[in-house]
Amino acid sequence: MTAWEKARARTAPLFLLPALALLAVFVVWPLLRAAAWSFTNADLLAPGEARPVGLGNYIDLFTDARFLRAFGNTWLFALLVVPLQTALAFFLALWVDRPEPAWRWLRVVFFLPVVVSMPVLAVLWTLLYQPAQGDTMGLVNAALDLVGAPPQAWLRDPALALPAIAFMSIWQGVGLQMMVFLAGLQNVPRELLDAARIDGAGPWQRVWHVIVPSMRNTFVFVVTVTTILAFRIFVQPYLMTRGGPGNSTLSLVQSIYETTFVSQDLGRACAAALVFLALVGVLAGLQRRFSREDRE
Amino acid sequence: MGDLMFTVRPPRRFPSWPALLRLAACLFAFASAGHLAARDARVVRVWSHQGQEAENRALRESAAAFNAAHADRGMRVELTFFPDFQYAEKLAIAAAARDLPDAFDLDGPLVARFAAAGLLAPLDPHFSREELDDFLPTILEQGTVDGKLFALGSFDSALVLYYDREMFARAGVEPPPGGEAWTWSEFLAACEKLRAAGLAPLSLHMDESADEWFTYAFSPVVWSGGGALISPGAPRVRGVLASPENVRSLSAWRELFARGHAPTDPVDPDLFGKGLVAMDWTGHWMARAHLAVKGDKLGVMPLPRVGERSVAPCGSWCWGLSAQAADNEGAVAWLRWIVDAETGVVPAVRANGAVPARRSAFTAFPEYSEIPYKLFRAQLETAARARPRTPFYATLTARFAAALRDIARGADVAARLRQAEDEIQSVIDRRAPAAKEAARP
Amino acid sequence: MNSAAFRNLLRWLLALAATAFFLAPLLWMFAASFQTEARIFAPGFSRWFDPAGWTLENYADAWRRVALGRGLFNSALQVLLVAAGGLVVNTAAAYAFARLEFRGREVLFALVVMLVILPVEVLAIPLFFTARDLGLTGGPVAAMAGLTVPFVAKAFNIYFLRQHFLSVPRALEEAAVIDGAGPWNLFWHVALPAVRPALATVVVLDLLAHWGDFLWPLMIATREESRTVQLTLANLFTQPPVQWGDILACAVLATLPVVLVFRLLQRHIVLTDARAGIK
Repeated sequence: MTAWEKARARTAPLFLLPALALLAVFVVWPLLRAAAWSFTNADLLAPGEARPVGLGNYIDLFTDARFLRAFGNTWLFALLVVPLQTALAFFLALWVDRPEPAWRWLRVVFFLPVVVSMPVLAVLWTLLYQPAQGDTMGLVNAALDLVGAPPQAWLRDPALALPAIAFMSIWQGVGLQMMVFLAGLQNVPRELLDAARIDGAGPWQRVWHVIVPSMRNTFVFVVTVTTILAFRIFVQPYLMTRGGPGNSTLSLVQSIYETTFVSQDLGRACAAALVFLALVGVLAGLQRRFSREDRE
Repeated sequence: MGDLMFTVRPPRRFPSWPALLRLAACLFAFASAGHLAARDARVVRVWSHQGQEAENRALRESAAAFNAAHADRGMRVELTFFPDFQYAEKLAIAAAARDLPDAFDLDGPLVARFAAAGLLAPLDPHFSREELDDFLPTILEQGTVDGKLFALGSFDSALVLYYDREMFARAGVEPPPGGEAWTWSEFLAACEKLRAAGLAPLSLHMDESADEWFTYAFSPVVWSGGGALISPGAPRVRGVLASPENVRSLSAWRELFARGHAPTDPVDPDLFGKGLVAMDWTGHWMARAHLAVKGDKLGVMPLPRVGERSVAPCGSWCWGLSAQAADNEGAVAWLRWIVDAETGVVPAVRANGAVPARRSAFTAFPEYSEIPYKLFRAQLETAARARPRTPFYATLTARFAAALRDIARGADVAARLRQAEDEIQSVIDRRAPAAKEAARP
Repeated sequence: MNSAAFRNLLRWLLALAATAFFLAPLLWMFAASFQTEARIFAPGFSRWFDPAGWTLENYADAWRRVALGRGLFNSALQVLLVAAGGLVVNTAAAYAFARLEFRGREVLFALVVMLVILPVEVLAIPLFFTARDLGLTGGPVAAMAGLTVPFVAKAFNIYFLRQHFLSVPRALEEAAVIDGAGPWNLFWHVALPAVRPALATVVVLDLLAHWGDFLWPLMIATREESRTVQLTLANLFTQPPVQWGDILACAVLATLPVVLVFRLLQRHIVLTDARAGIK
């Protein structure tokens, strides 16, 4: 290295220190603490008196009906949201991938729910899902009523509550994934598309055989991110149904939150949090594995 | 290389970073100044759960009266309310953050937990022997842990079965004589008669959002049947909660729902007041409203018994002083104010119709010679039983309440109780060596 | 009508339907916030056209009931501090990873990248105790610090900005070096302006993301005066008496700032391709 480069390298700590120090204190350290606590019986109000219990917390988690329910609900939610939201986002992206200003405006419309914050939307959709009481009902039931369908109890119905929240989450998030797909669409090689067109391939065939394979990495990315985001769900069930009715919308994060502040069992909450982290890590790992190496 | 020549001065289109940083610093300074200026060392932060509207109003008025009376000493109370179902959670967060308010109210059964965690300051130094003797013994019992007093309430609670005399007459139902309670079969028979006369018999308030309602309201059924929720000594629910007596008692309770006498999902929280049901299984807090609506038609009887005796629950919200505020004069003054017969007990009881915590306050309530209040007081003297005082109460009540809800909807009693046992016992076992407090059923 | 015009019409109808579907809830929220309480869920659409039903009282009531102004202020301050602080801290680190040669750079960066996927929900509980131990809980100033400081440094922002620094043409820097620029000038006057769009992007992303924070403020901002607008809204929503009109008014006020910011700064958002390493 030249003297100049050495001088530059000496400035590196100055640039790095604030961010790395903050990350160390507020990300790495809590993570280590959570890992430590997860092997103890730490109590919320007296964590210093914790005593080790080995893998006890983890084993207990998998026999804890409430945790398993939360785990199952979260998977169910992801299974509802991910395919539908991804497919919808993809088709919307295909649809609005035109340069005319009218389509740009449509993009903004689809993206608007993403911008509005989740607590506001949770509150709003609770009102929209109001069940019918006599003549009064929320907008969703009113719309059903218009087409002659019977009004539903939505958030009060154990079978419908989670799908209702899933629907609302799809409505909220599809715009963001659509933008990612739009960006990915720009990188589909035009030559391949033209060649396909010349070969007589119709629009659907072009999508299926040219566009989708070329966007494989984008798909993997969107599916992974949507899945991880689905797993992190908290605000919607917490505000809209508090995990009910009958635990049907209890989410993993809410169960961690309640284990901490209602059961006041810090050790088990940390174990649940780490299980959650492991899940997210696996998903991220799968994404790396399924993404093809890029030709640089 | 012409196109790569580059001047060192940044283009001016975007606002310059130094200006932005200066603006941000000013904003922050301004904001902090605003925040800091508002804080006055003599303000006492007080939290309360949000009860009935009348109670909240009375508490606000007491706080205003306190502020007026202590203005010369510069002490001021700042009162914050939280909805019932959120309150325990908020307290837990504040406790964990070591940022509890200076004084707060908490439900009686939770005193053990807070005291064990060192979050409450002992109150003994602040009250004289005569003052303490003025309190009902159930109040002192509720707030005492390990011989030290940690919480004092302004009132105690009562739970009874209200009924509409006129509806009873219409259906040909005779209320039990004197202050006696029905047996469970008599109770069910009365329900049948009411149904036959086209009247909905009973409201059990199954729509309550707070778990505590279920434990409070329906533990008497368990106790009346001779059972308990948790064993004394080393806390144990295994074999206690799902005991044969409890299964019998709660199966009898479940009959009310199975036979359609009480709705499992009422849409209205006040079916009795609206004349939609003939009987109301609820507490003192509805006495005022029911008297206003029903007048002479209102009757009360002790809760029906599944076993030998009718048992009533007791215990209520009480006030504690945060350990960190032990030296806070204002906080101590507030505590003394809110449990004082004249400034605290009387306004509170006037608002919620509960049983005054202090004997000297009864003189302000001539209605205590009439029903339903007569029954409240009588129950507290003879038939009241406190909910278990155990540090595990929060889990106990949450799991028991969930079990009760499921049982009402038709779950198998024994299996569901055993599931609750497992859930609660697993929490106890984790902590067992550390739990030193004796639990009383 | 020939098939092309027909297809065009179909496309327009579809676009209209899609717009309605995506906008209807938000429009309803906005319109209903100006209706009197009794009319919010009333049946029939004719009431929308009745001038008598329109009122501002929901806004006045909400503002009065729950210190809405304070909530908005807290939210605004929180997101600005996070975005501003993040800008300084993450940009510097990203530049170091991109352009400064030092030992262990690749390893350190790999470690940072591993942190990207960490959801805040996993960290929230232990972070709560860290914040408490550092005095970031309690009074309003402490709570504001607790709301902002833990989120200033972000692994994703560092990663994202590094990508953009990497694509600044070396020729630019070399030219500046030839002109006699020192390391600081290189950063301040060459690299930074070149990645301006990316900087704007992270600022907007931070603003949008943190405005909607809920779990963390729920744990840190327990005192009334520390509440963010989302907590204020949740409070209105759960605390009896529940007034739908007030809730809607609060929801609208909680939304307007974000939508405004989004519209104003929308063109600055640069969404890169999802594939790692490629801009």
